[in-house]
Amino acid sequence: MTVNANYLELRHIEKRFGDFHVSKDVNLSIPKGRLVALLGSSGSGKTTILRMIAGLETPDSGEIVIDGKVVNDVPGSERGIGFVFQSYALFRYLTVYDNIAFGLRLKKASKSEIDDRVHELLKLINCEGLEKRFPSQLSGGQRQRVAFARALAPNPQILLLDEPFAAIDAKVRLELRTWLRRMITQLGITSVFVTHDQDEAIEVADDVVVTNAGRVEQTGTPRELYVNPKTPFVAQFIGNTAPIDNYDKFQFFDSVGPETRAIIRPEFVSVSKKGENRQFVKSAEEGVVEDVVFRGSSLEIKVRVHDVVISGVRSVNDPIIEIGETVDVFIYRLIIVDGEKIVLQENKSLRKESVVI
Amino acid sequence: MNLRKDSGALKWTLIIIGELFLALFLILPLVFIVRTSLEKGLAVYFKSITDQYAVKAAFLTIKATIWAVVVNTIFGVCAAWCITKFAFHGKKILSTFIDLPVTVSPIIAGLIYVLTFGRQSFLFPLLDRWDIEIIFATPGIILATIFVTFPFISRELIPVLTAQGTDEEEAAALMGAKTWTIFRTVTLPHIKWALLYGVVLCTARAMGEFGAVSVLSGHLRGKTNTLPLYIELLYQGYDFTGAFAASSLLVVLTIIILILRVWLEGRGNKDADIRK
Amino acid sequence: MKQKKTKSVIPGFGLSFGVTLTILSIVVLIPLCSLVVFSARLSPSEFLHTITTTRVLKSYWISISTAFVASAINAAMGLILAWILVRYEFPGKRFVDGLIELPFALPTAVAGIALTHMTTTQGWVGKIFYDLFRIKIAYTPLGIVVALIFIGIPFVVRSVQPVLEKIDIQYEEAASLLGATRRETFWKIIFPEILPALISGFSLAFARCIGEYGSVVFISGNIPYETEIAPLMIMSKLQEYDYASATSIALVMLAIAFVILSVNAILQSMVSKRVSGIA
Ligand SMILES: Nc1ncnc2c1ncn2[C@@H]1O[C@H](COP(=O)(O)OP(=O)(O)O)[C@@H](O)[C@H]1O
Ligand SMILES: [Mg+2]
Repeated sequence: MTVNANYLELRHIEKRFGDFHVSKDVNLSIPKGRLVALLGSSGSGKTTILRMIAGLETPDSGEIVIDGKVVNDVPGSERGIGFVFQSYALFRYLTVYDNIAFGLRLKKASKSEIDDRVHELLKLINCEGLEKRFPSQLSGGQRQRVAFARALAPNPQILLLDEPFAAIDAKVRLELRTWLRRMITQLGITSVFVTHDQDEAIEVADDVVVTNAGRVEQTGTPRELYVNPKTPFVAQFIGNTAPIDNYDKFQFFDSVGPETRAIIRPEFVSVSKKGENRQFVKSAEEGVVEDVVFRGSSLEIKVRVHDVVISGVRSVNDPIIEIGETVDVFIYRLIIVDGEKIVLQENKSLRKESVVI
Repeated sequence: MNLRKDSGALKWTLIIIGELFLALFLILPLVFIVRTSLEKGLAVYFKSITDQYAVKAAFLTIKATIWAVVVNTIFGVCAAWCITKFAFHGKKILSTFIDLPVTVSPIIAGLIYVLTFGRQSFLFPLLDRWDIEIIFATPGIILATIFVTFPFISRELIPVLTAQGTDEEEAAALMGAKTWTIFRTVTLPHIKWALLYGVVLCTARAMGEFGAVSVLSGHLRGKTNTLPLYIELLYQGYDFTGAFAASSLLVVLTIIILILRVWLEGRGNKDADIRK
Repeated sequence: MKQKKTKSVIPGFGLSFGVTLTILSIVVLIPLCSLVVFSARLSPSEFLHTITTTRVLKSYWISISTAFVASAINAAMGLILAWILVRYEFPGKRFVDGLIELPFALPTAVAGIALTHMTTTQGWVGKIFYDLFRIKIAYTPLGIVVALIFIGIPFVVRSVQPVLEKIDIQYEEAASLLGATRRETFWKIIFPEILPALISGFSLAFARCIGEYGSVVFISGNIPYETEIAPLMIMSKLQEYDYASATSIALVMLAIAFVILSVNAILQSMVSKRVSGIA
C-alpha cells in the first residue's frame, strides 16, 4: 500500500477569467490532516484556488488530485469536501438544526442518525440549545460555528474555509482562531483556509502558502517563511518590514551588488541608550531618536541612522528613551534582495565578537 | 462551472412556456386590435378616428391626463420631500392615505366622489349655491383621474430620496440656500429620472382610466366622454371598426409609453450607479 | 400629524407639508369622510338585507373565485417569467421584460373589448376553442378569468424578479456541495427565498382583480347570477341612483380587499422577523 503522503494536490493549475490570469501554474501538496493557510493580499486568487478544489470553478488546465485520484471531472458534492463560505451562506429560512442537517438529509440518513449527528456537532461548536433559532438570531461568532458544523456534518475528508474570520469583530476573532485550530487538530481533518491576515495564518496554520498575483510564492511552516523567505515578496510580506536602499552605508554589512536593496524588521534591531551596558556596543551605529511609539507590550523606537529611519523594539521595562536623544543602534541582520534572489546577511561583528568571547 | 446553468431542455421549455403565455395574452390582443381596426380599409379607419366625437373625447382624455400629471407631480414632489427630509409624527398614516387610492376598486373610487359631490352629500348645498357642477361633468372626470393615479409619482420619488439621505440638503441649508434653490440644485438632479418615470406611469394610467370615470361621466355623448368611454359606447353600439380604431390610438400611445419606461428605467439606474 | 420632532435645518417643511395636506384632503380625505358619513347613516338592517340578497352574494363569489383562479395562474406563470428573465439569456429578453408592463399601460377598456371580441364564438381564439372543445370563453366565468389573467401578469413578475436577482449564488453553491441536486436546491433553498415575494405579488394581483371593472365588464356579459361581478353590481345600483345599496356592496368589497392585504402584511412581517432576527 502506498501511503499517500499528499492527500490533496494541485498540479500546474492554470485559470483565467476572460483576460484576467487568476491562477498561474499553481502547485500545492497537502499531507493528510494538515491545516494549511492560503495567505495573500486581496485579489491574489486565493478564493479561486479554494473554489477550484471544491469544484465550484473548473481549472483551464492542470490537475486536482484528492487521495491519489484526479478529481477534475468529479462534481464538487462527490469530492468529500466541506466548504465554509466567507459570508457563511447559512440558509436564512432554515433553523440552525435544519442547516446542519441539510447535507445529511440529502444523503438519506435516518432520522435518528441525523439527530445524533446534529446534536454531536452542536455540542462540538458549543451551540447546544440554539437548534431552533434562525441564522439571523445568532451572533457573528455563532454563525461562523454553525457554518462550520454544517460543513462538517456529512463527514467530509477535506474542509475548506474562505476567510473564516473576516466578518467577525476583532475580539471574538482571536477566540475563534484558537477554537478553530483546536477543533481541526482534534478532528484531524485536512483543512485549507484562506486569509489575507498574516497573523491569522501564522497563528492558526501548520503550513502557510503565500500567494501573490496568481502564483504560489512559497510554502512552508510559519517559522520557515519568517526565518527563511525564498522570494522578495515573501520577505516583504511576512512580518513588519521596512526597506533600506543604501544599506552599504552601514558598517559590518557588505553590498552584494549595485542593484540590490535590503529589508529590515524591528526584531533585527536593538536600540540602547548611550552608556547603557549592552553587548556589541562597539559595533553599534549612532542615531537620533525621531519617535517613540507605545505598542502596548513594547515600545517601537524610530531612529534616524545614515539618513534612513529604522525601527527597533524595546521593552517597556528598559530605561526610558526620549525623542531627540542620541542612541546606539545595533543591527543583527538584514535581508538583502538581489533581483529575484534573497540573501540573509548577518552583522559581521557577530562572528568577530563571538570569537573574542 | 456554472451552477446556475440549467439543462438546455428545461431552460428552453420554460422560455417557450413564458413566451407563449405572453404572446397569447399580450401580443395577440394588440395585433387583433390593429387588424380589426383596419378591417374595412384605411379610409374607414381615418374616418373613424377623425370623427368629431372621437376628437372631442381625445381632447377630454388629454385634458384629464394633463391635470392628473400636473396635480400629482406637485403633490408627489411635496409629499416625497416632506416625508423623506423631515421627521414628524403621522408619517405612516400619511403614506397609507397616499397609497390608498390604488388599492380601491375604480368603481368604488367613482362611488366615493358621487357620495361626496352628489345630491345627497353634505357639500351639495354649497356646490349648488355656487353653481359648481362636479359629478356627471368634466371636473368629476378630472378628479377621478387624479384619484386613481394619486400615488404614482410620490411612490417613485420616495425610495430615491430615502436612499439619498438628507446630508446634501443640510449642507446647502447651512450655507444659507433657500428652499427653492436647494430643491432645484441639490434635490432635483437626484430625482429627475424617477420623476419622469413617475410622470410616464401616471400618464399611462390616466389616459386609460375607465371604471371611475365611467361612474362620474354620466355618459353624455361628446360632452363628457373620454376616449375609453367613447370606445365603450361604440362597442356597445356594435360599431366594432370604430371602437377598435379608437383603441388603436391608445395602443400606439401605450407602446410609446412602454418604450419610454424602459429607457427611463435604464437612465435612472445609470444615475443610481454613479451616485454609489 | 403636524408636530415636528426636531427642528430641521432644511427649510420648506411648512410649504411642502401644507401643499401635501391640502391636495390629500381634497382628493382623498374629504371623499373618504363623506363615505364614512354616508355609511354611518345606513340602517344596519337595510345594509344586511342588501348584501345578503342572492344576486349580490353570487356576485361576490364570482368576483372572488375568478380573481383567485386568475391570480393563482398568474403566480405560476409570473414565477416562470421572472425566472427566465433573471436566470436565462435568450433573444428578445429585453423586449419580453418591457412587455410585462403592458397590462399596466394599456387602457383596461381597450384590453376588455379586444379580449372579448377575440374570444366570442366567432372570434379568432373563441372559434377555435368552440369548434374543437365546445368551450365558450366570452360571456362565461372563464372569460372573466382570461381578462383577470391579463390584468394580473405584471404583479407577480415584478415582485419576484428583484428578489430572485438578489439571491446570492453562494446559497446554491453551499447546497450543491452538501449534495443537493438542482431540483432540491430550488425547492429547499430558492423557493423559500422567493415565497414571500410570490405571496405578496399574488395578494396584490388578487386584490386588484377583485375590484377590476374595465377589462371584465365586456367579456363577462353581465348575466345575473352567472357572470355578474361585484363592481358591476355597484355600477348598476348607481345607475338606479340607489346610493345606499351601492355603498353597502362597496363596503363589503373594501373589507374583502382589506382582509387580503392585511393577511399579506402579517405574513410578510412574520417572514421579515424571521430573516432579520427581531423575533
Ligand atoms: N467569476 C469571476 N469572473 C471574473 N473575475 C473573477 C471571478 N472570480 C474572481 N475574479 C477575479 O479574480 C481575482 C482574484 O479573485 P479571488 O480569487 O477572489 O481573490 P482573493 O480571494 O485572493 O481576494 C479578482 O480580481 C477577481 O476580480
Ligand atoms: Mg477571497
